[in-house]
Amino acid sequence: MLTAFEDTAQRYQRRVYSFARYLLSSREEAEDVTQEVLLRLWRHRQGVDEERLGSWLLRVTRNACYDLLRKRRSETAGLGTRIDDEEREEIASAEPGPQAQAEASDFRRRLLEALADLGEPYKSVVILREVQGLPHREIGEALGIPEATVRVHLHRGRRKLRERLREGVHHDD
Amino acid sequence: MTIETITCDEALDLLEPFVDGELPFAQAEPLRSHLQGCRACAGELALAERIRRELRALPQPDCPPEVIERVVRSGRGEVVPFPARRRSGWRVRIAAAAAVLALAVGGGSLFFNLQQRPDRPDPTQVAQATRDARLALAYLDKVTRKAGLGVRDEVLEKRLVIPAARSVSRSLGEFQAPADETRKELR
Repeated sequence: MLTAFEDTAQRYQRRVYSFARYLLSSREEAEDVTQEVLLRLWRHRQGVDEERLGSWLLRVTRNACYDLLRKRRSETAGLGTRIDDEEREEIASAEPGPQAQAEASDFRRRLLEALADLGEPYKSVVILREVQGLPHREIGEALGIPEATVRVHLHRGRRKLRERLREGVHHDD
Repeated sequence: MTIETITCDEALDLLEPFVDGELPFAQAEPLRSHLQGCRACAGELALAERIRRELRALPQPDCPPEVIERVVRSGRGEVVPFPARRRSGWRVRIAAAAAVLALAVGGGSLFFNLQQRPDRPDPTQVAQATRDARLALAYLDKVTRKAGLGVRDEVLEKRLVIPAARSVSRSLGEFQAPADETRKELR
């Protein structure tokens, strides 16, 4: 039974971890949440429907992340969104180099900041749809909302990102 | 055929579903017509497309293998360690808690002695009690680290530091309260 669980953990670890990482903007906290979620899966493995396992994991991950964020807010009230600088640089700076790549890296950095600051319910939907590539139906199952609502949240979330990134973007004339 | 004209605000509302190809024809055509004549909105469309492209290019990192390993070990019935965090602060607090505990132990024994000799505490007894408690906690630290366990800061403070500090304060109430000073150091 443990081998089957190990297989399941390996299969879903990236989905859980990367979701937590983008929600929390912290590698350390994403690791904590991933461990907690997979432990919970182990404890409840008999009761989770195999066909809904992906959605269940995402829902539990999101709840765990928001529990952590609530705790973080109560400990660091007034400090605004915390984003791990190393985190952001690691993802944004794929290739240092000439001017165009520096601009691309800067855009990505600002996009990550905007995503970190994006509120719910938009943030989860944007991450699951655009970063993880999940279908709308599966996102709806994971978050407990209709598919049509997923699309609305997705568009509003991306619009908020666009409004935030509007400043400082150079348009070709 | 006359295409309905729309304002910039209306156009901006439609960009994201347009980028996703989900805009009905009746809305898409007026938007296209508007974009052809409005440079600002055309720039916003370019930005909307770029955002979607960049989001889809973001990496999906793998979880470090040691996290999975800890979970699997837990499944085997082994102890699952708390993740290491802020190690230097944790060690300092262990050391500080050791001092407070030692003082609590020392204070307790002094209180007992004071019943018989209420003139002044014996410094050598306090020093010995301090050493004993420090050794005990250092051993605890070593054992837990070896087992891969950690004691959370808040548990340590609630279960050990605060009760010990209170005990010291009560025991040494007539003298300068070392427990209070130690608690200040902890902060």
